[in-house]
Formats: sequence, C-alpha cells, structure tokens
Amino acid sequence: MRQIAAGALAAIAAVVLLALSGIAFGHAPGELLSTLISGSIGSSFALHGTIVKSIPLLLTGLSVAIAFRAGVWNIGAEGQFIVGGLACFLAARFGLISSLLASMIAGAAWALIASLLRFWRNAPEVLTTIILNFVGFHLLGYSVNGPLQEARAQYPQTDAVAISLSTSGEVVIALSICIASWFLLYRTKEGLRLRATGFNPFAARWAGVHVNAQIARAMAISGGMAGLAGGIELLGVTHRLFERFAAGYGYSGIAVALLGQLHPLATLLSAVFFGALTTGAGELQRASNISASVATFGQAVVILTLIGLSSRAKRGIP
Amino acid sequence: MQLTNVTKSFGPTIAVDDVSLSVAPGEILGLIGENGAGKTTLMRIIAGEIEPDRGTIDVGGTIGFVHQHFMLVNEFTIAENLALVGAGDARFENSNRLVRDLSVGEKAAVELMKAIAKEPDLLILDEPTSVLTPNEAQKLFDTARDLASRGKSVILISHKVREVLSIATRTVVMRRGRIVREGGGAEQLARAMVGERTHVAPPLRRRTTPAESRLYVRNLSVGTGEIVAVIGVAGNGQAELATMLRDTLPRETTAHIPEDRTRDGVIAEMSIAENLALVTNASAEELIATFGIRATGPRQRAGNLSGGNQQKLVLGRELTRSPAIIIAAEPTRGLDIESTAFVHEQLRAAAARGAAILLITSDLDEAFTLADGIHVIFRGTLSERLTPAEAGTRAGQLMAGVR
Repeated sequence: MRQIAAGALAAIAAVVLLALSGIAFGHAPGELLSTLISGSIGSSFALHGTIVKSIPLLLTGLSVAIAFRAGVWNIGAEGQFIVGGLACFLAARFGLISSLLASMIAGAAWALIASLLRFWRNAPEVLTTIILNFVGFHLLGYSVNGPLQEARAQYPQTDAVAISLSTSGEVVIALSICIASWFLLYRTKEGLRLRATGFNPFAARWAGVHVNAQIARAMAISGGMAGLAGGIELLGVTHRLFERFAAGYGYSGIAVALLGQLHPLATLLSAVFFGALTTGAGELQRASNISASVATFGQAVVILTLIGLSSRAKRGIP
Repeated sequence: MQLTNVTKSFGPTIAVDDVSLSVAPGEILGLIGENGAGKTTLMRIIAGEIEPDRGTIDVGGTIGFVHQHFMLVNEFTIAENLALVGAGDARFENSNRLVRDLSVGEKAAVELMKAIAKEPDLLILDEPTSVLTPNEAQKLFDTARDLASRGKSVILISHKVREVLSIATRTVVMRRGRIVREGGGAEQLARAMVGERTHVAPPLRRRTTPAESRLYVRNLSVGTGEIVAVIGVAGNGQAELATMLRDTLPRETTAHIPEDRTRDGVIAEMSIAENLALVTNASAEELIATFGIRATGPRQRAGNLSGGNQQKLVLGRELTRSPAIIIAAEPTRGLDIESTAFVHEQLRAAAARGAAILLITSDLDEAFTLADGIHVIFRGTLSERLTPAEAGTRAGQLMAGVR
C-alpha cells in the first residue's frame, strides 16, 4: 500500500514541478499542464505517440526491474538495447521471429559479460554495465559509419530493414513480456530464488540457492528484455540504425522501474506515464518552445522523490 | 534513571506495555525474559533510540549501550572504531587489526570499550554473554562491578537466570511487554519468564554404536542416528567448517541451520511462506502450528518475527524435509529456556528417525546434553572424538589449545 502511495506521489510531484517550472519560461502552469495532457493523450495521434514511446520504456523498465530484484545493479539496458538493435538488423533477412530472437540473445550475451567480469574479477556490475554502454554506443557508431552504412553512403545510418512490426504487434509482445515477468517473479520457484538472492544473498545461499548462477540467469533475462526492446524499436519504429538509435531508453528504464517499485504490473503503469510525459514534452517544445528535455527533468524528480520517501520510511522502522 | 508508564507498540504488537522502572546509582539491575518479551525495545527507549507511544523517561546522565548485535565498522581497525567515539585503544594488544578479522569475543570487547569510554552514568548490556567464553564473560562482569562500585548504574539483559543472579543486585522479569516479577530465586524467576507453562525436557536416550557413516571429514564421522558435537571457542574454524559442509554436501538430503540467523537464516523481506518455499513444498500453516511460531500467519514478513521465532522458522524449514544429515550451528544461541528445550527435542527426534547430526556449538551444556561424541575444534583442527565423559575432563584444555 505504502509503495503504491509513494509511486503515485512521485508521479504527481513530477507533473506539478514540471508545470511550476513553466513559470521560469514565462508560461502559466495550467497552460503547460494542458499542453502536456493534450500532447500525450489528447488525440489519437498523440495517444499513438505515447504508446510507441511506452513500449521500449516498458521493456527496458522490466529489464532493470528484474536485475534489481536479483540485487544486481544493471545500468546497462542502454547498451543491451543497442546490441539488440544491431543483432536484429543483421538477422532481419531470416524473418521476424529470428530477428527478434537474435536481439534477445545479443542483449543477454552483452549483459552476461558483466556477470562474467563479476565472477572472474569481482568487478561491480554498476560499473561494468555502464562501461559496456559506451562500448555498445561506439560499436553502433562505427557500424553505421562503416560496414553497415547505407548503400548511398550519404548519412551515418543503415538502410531500412525489409521487415517491419506493426504497433499492435509491438503492444502484444510488450504486454506478454510484462505478464510473463510478473509470472516469473511471483509464481515460479525461479522467481522466488531470484528475489531471495536480491534481498539477502547470504540467506539464499544457505537455503540452497546457487547465488552466482542465479545472478547470471537474472542478468541474461534482464539483458534479453533490453535487447528485445532494441529489436522491436528497430522493426516497429525506426526501421534503420543510426548513432542516437537508443535515445536514452535504457537509462530511462531505470526511472520506469523505480517508479514501478520493481513490480512488473506497476512498471506497465509507470512506462505509460513516462511515455506520455515524453510525448507531451515533445508537444510542449513545439507549442511553447520549452525544450523536450523537461521529460528528463521529470524522471529526475520521480527518482529523487522516491529516494526521499524510501529513506524516510527506513528511518521509521525500529 | 526513572521510567514511568512507558508503552510502545509496533503495529498490532505491544512490545512494551505500561512499564515503570528505576535504577539507582551503584545498582546492577538484571533484566530477564524470553525472546520477544520486550527487553531490547525497553532499553532502546531508555537510550533514546526509540520514541515511546506513552510514558515519561527521566535519565539523569549519560548512557553507554552494548547492543546484542555489534555496531562496529567491519572495514575499520579496532583503533579506528574506538576513535569514532573518541575512545582510546590502550587495552588492546594489536589495535591495528581489522574488526572483520576479530573473533566475536574480541568484537564484544571492542563494543564494551566503546560504551564505557565516555564514563557513562548508566551502562546497558544487551545479552552480552551469549557469544562469550566463560572467561570473557567473567571479565565483562568484573568491568560491570567496577562501574557500579564507582556509583554508576548497570542494566544487564539476559535470559540466563543463574548468570544474572550471580551479578545483579536486583532482578526483574519481563514477559510479553510487562514487568511480571521482581526478585526471588532462580526457579521463581524462570517460572515467571515462561509463564504458566512449564517445560520438562524428556530423558535422554543414548546411542553409542555409530552405524554407517553419513558424514566424514578427515577424522570426523557421524553415524546414522547419531549426534556429534563440535565445541570450541568461537572463531576457531566453526564457521568455516559449516560453510565447507554447506558447499560440499548435497542440499537435497542435508539440512543446514546456520549460525547467524539474521544474516544467513531467514530472508527478512520475504514472508514466512516464501522463506519456507525456498527449500520445501511443505505447508506454512502446518509449520507455524507444529513449531509453535508466534506469527499472524504465513504471509507475515519473517523480519517481523522475534529472534526465537526466526530460529524456529529456520529449524522447521530444514527439519520438515526429514533430512539424512543435519548441520546445526549454534541452534539455540539467544533462545529462551522453552525454545531451547524445543530445539533440543526436535534434534533428538530427528536423530531417532535416523538422521546424522553434526552440532557445532559454543554452549558446552548443549553439547554434553545432546551429543553421543564430541570433538574440540582449535585453530581449525579437530581433536579426536571424545565420549561426553572424556570431554568433561579434557574439553577445557583442548579448547585452550593444550594437548
């Protein structure tokens, strides 16, 4: 109950602060708020934009949530998203299913590098996954400027893929993954062990959980989801790869997961909220000339509010 | 120090119920009670760590508090930990050692030094002896007497009645959040602790013929239906032995009762049912009933259980699977009389069913009561197997490293 209240409060705080910040740009808060709302859910066009933005946020949010539940700081959804997109592009000629599978496998493999570094050298995932983001980013940059550049060789981007995924197809896949994540975490032994490992790896070990293998599996699942997000984004939205392909979806997934209190079903609501915020912020830029990066500001407010609430809650516990 | 009508509840549980208590200068007050009786909560109220719901507290001076669970920075040296509170390190031989590497007895000594560094007017000792050797406990008591003789007050929390009687100038008993008795002999105090129910341990059955070995670690073997104890001063390799056995024995047929139940035993954030499901498919309702776990139901968070009930949860989880081998490390540490008797009964019953039990304990009475054979562990080496009678005469020397 308290967690739901904390999430709702953080979301409200973000919207209110966003609206108030408009004063600094000489706009009435109410006017900004109505632009945000009409620009995100006010028309079928806006709603479509919100849905399309929500899907990668949901998948990267779930990715982060699963890893965090296992006690692993996977900050690498961005890099996993990128290699997922790359693998999907390369496998596109084998068809839709194969290319999406390839994106999952690539994301999982990319995440597992961090687990291997943990087991061999005890390197913390919070560092290795961030570094892998940079590696992924530059790998993509090299690819679109070199071997995978479009035939015309005019822009640093690939040619369009031959296959595509409809928005309804995207929605079905994302919702299935969301429900599957909930089922995994709360209805299976695997999920029980995964959460036990995250809460207390010592006690989990004594209870017979193979903690390292558990962490590696959680990382693989987490990375697979972020990779799939990249594949879906390529086939459903961008159709091409370019340097800014990931567009920060991986990092935004952290805010999505935290606002969703690491619960898959709440993460769905959280993803739609941030999707709407991002889409609304785009409209804000067009209508009021306020930079769309206020959406990032909203994410920061959410995270800070949640941290404030949780540390207060902890102090109250005897 | 004067408490008047203090009450504190956590959710539906009343931890401290309308308690009035005073301690005079020069007095050593013994506070005894079962786990979950409210002793620690009451002391934390006195120390100002918890706000009471009702009642007044009048503390006429400074307080030193030695917590049941150590409040030390593991990555700091002894000297650094003491410097944090402005204390000197003169009493320690080598104060540049990391706290992480110390034995529990040494950690307790550092905690005590921290608490008395500022010459507090009131010293609170929360279950200090459960991890100490008799010798270390004696030193602690000498320190307490010394403080009292200089006009300071001491409150000693324990559930060991005899120990409290040997040092306290006045003794009160807490039960379910209330002070139920003041003064009296050991038997009266113990009766007040456990309430109307009295528990008598069943007579011992001894099996002296070890059958086929289920566990063999160099010179260690445990036969079917046998209880073999490993005793020794804490920090001589007991934890390593338990960990090694955990990592080598098949989990399917082995039960583990880890020594540190708050860290290794239960997952505090998970429910009783979830903690159980990690290991077995048994029903949580049944477990709660069979093992007498005081809980609101299977969905209660394990972290909200008292220490004794957490231990019962671990014990129940491990034993309901009828394991072939049981590794029990300090299974009754910190438990009250009744819970201890219950744990012993369960271990005996498991042995009677044919389980091979290795009991790693620093409680010598426990080893002598339960074990068919006893090994002494000293600096990572096990002694030869002794009969309880042999151990009675030789254990002390072997524990000190004298051969």
